[in-house]
Amino acid sequence: MSWQQRYLPALISVASVTAMVIALSYVVGGSEAWPRIQAQFFNLDAMRQAFPRVLGGFWTNLWLWGAGLVAIGIWALVLAVMRSMTGPWFAPLRIFTMVYVDLFRGIPALLLVLLFGFGIPALNLSGLPSSGLFWGFVAMVLSYSAYACEIYRAGIDAVHDGQRAAAKALGLGQWQTMWYAVLPQAIRNVIPALLNLVVALQKDVVLLSVIGVRDAVREAQIFTASTFNYSSLVVAALLFMATSIPLARLTDHLARRDRARRTQGAG
Amino acid sequence: MKNRSAARATTLAKPLPARSMAALSLRVFGAVIALMALTTALFAQERTVNDPNLVTPGKLTVGTGDPVYAPWMLNNDPAGGEGFENGLVYALAAEMGFAPGDVVWTGNSFDQTIAPGPKDFDFAIQQISVTGARAQVVTFSDVYYQPEKAVIALPGSPVIDATSFDDLRTARWGVTLGTTDADYLENILGISDAAVYSQQVDVFLAMQSGQIDATVFALPSALFVTAVQVPDAEITALLPSDANDRGHGLLFEYDNPLVDWVNDALTNVIDAGTIEELKATYLVSDPDLPVISE
Repeated sequence: MSWQQRYLPALISVASVTAMVIALSYVVGGSEAWPRIQAQFFNLDAMRQAFPRVLGGFWTNLWLWGAGLVAIGIWALVLAVMRSMTGPWFAPLRIFTMVYVDLFRGIPALLLVLLFGFGIPALNLSGLPSSGLFWGFVAMVLSYSAYACEIYRAGIDAVHDGQRAAAKALGLGQWQTMWYAVLPQAIRNVIPALLNLVVALQKDVVLLSVIGVRDAVREAQIFTASTFNYSSLVVAALLFMATSIPLARLTDHLARRDRARRTQGAG
Repeated sequence: MKNRSAARATTLAKPLPARSMAALSLRVFGAVIALMALTTALFAQERTVNDPNLVTPGKLTVGTGDPVYAPWMLNNDPAGGEGFENGLVYALAAEMGFAPGDVVWTGNSFDQTIAPGPKDFDFAIQQISVTGARAQVVTFSDVYYQPEKAVIALPGSPVIDATSFDDLRTARWGVTLGTTDADYLENILGISDAAVYSQQVDVFLAMQSGQIDATVFALPSALFVTAVQVPDAEITALLPSDANDRGHGLLFEYDNPLVDWVNDALTNVIDAGTIEELKATYLVSDPDLPVISE
């Protein structure tokens, strides 16, 4: 491979991106409104001032995100397995998961958060937590697990029937077939799709701010409300990007590796 | 604002005829006369109902919340004129020479009102507190009202028997976003973990479902809320005012030249005793409420 073939595309990419950035900054920076925009949205002083409280709120986002991933990962898998059970005795489970997915995928997550976060504590049920945060979190888990369940199910359906037959031939029961033969392959197949959902969830936990949770977005809004300056929202945006962009690259990497593995296997 | 008058000048200049070279000197003369007339007209129009700085000359366009709440505006109807704030606006309008029919209302959310960029109102009135930081982004009129703060709670709340700031700090607090109430809790009571809800009604939902013990409101709003909206809730105490919160002002787009005119009218309205009258009509408080000051 000559150096032109090897380096020229990369050089052209860098050059064109640089030219684009310069042109954009010239157009935006030269506009009449730019000083106002800069003062309102990119005010370094305001950003510095808002940073500690926005970061404090961001830990709440990360914490909710992490706990949500674990809960959704497990609950959605249970749902997907229930949905994939064969045999007439399991019909109620299959119907339950169908209704569940239709219901929770059909209702906007924000609506669920409001309904659960304000509605359930208002019932004053004894023995259950009255925290709005807890019930808002439950709403997010219910909503997201409906999506994740469908992804798992696609993975389970994609496992070749021969695998099941082979497992049966080895004398494994239905549960054992699922656990040892089907699920490991199914999950590996859908990891890129699941990671996509992981990235989406990271941002959707901000929905909990409507029930009083002081996350990064709400802290930024509080700052904006008291100063009328929007730089705090940009700080929050940067924090989210700092965590989601590496994750997106990881997703890309895994998807690429997966594709390579498959084409190798096929060849 | 400049663009608007320039546009008018061209439309006025256009119809002048351009028939022959002989008429040139006449045309120049005519144009000069027209321009002079226009500029004198513009100067004459300042501080009149046709002030070119108005969003719609001839009308006074006033922004407010949607919905609006008593006692600031009654019946969710700004044009009805019943309430402290719409009463004040109609008094101001009369002072500035507008007929009541020339006052036009626009309903905005608080977020829309404070959003950067041009505003669709001459000024907004929505119990907006004047603060130094906000004044760097928008322009405020003089303060027309300085409210006290009131603690609101349901029966059985731990704040009911509170007699000191320390007692108040043990409770779980919630406030409405976009008010200075969160700042108040932090600056005066030293409470920084209050839950912050998007709307007033959410604060009461959270209170009724036992997620928070108390909230703090400007006294007039507190009176109305506890009397009409949430009769279960009660005002348990009054709190001292915050020195950083200078009180409510009218909100203008940054550097709007109308502010001086409105301020002069506001001064006249205050001097005439209108604010005191409106206060006596709409913002009456119970003189027996306990005051917690430290």
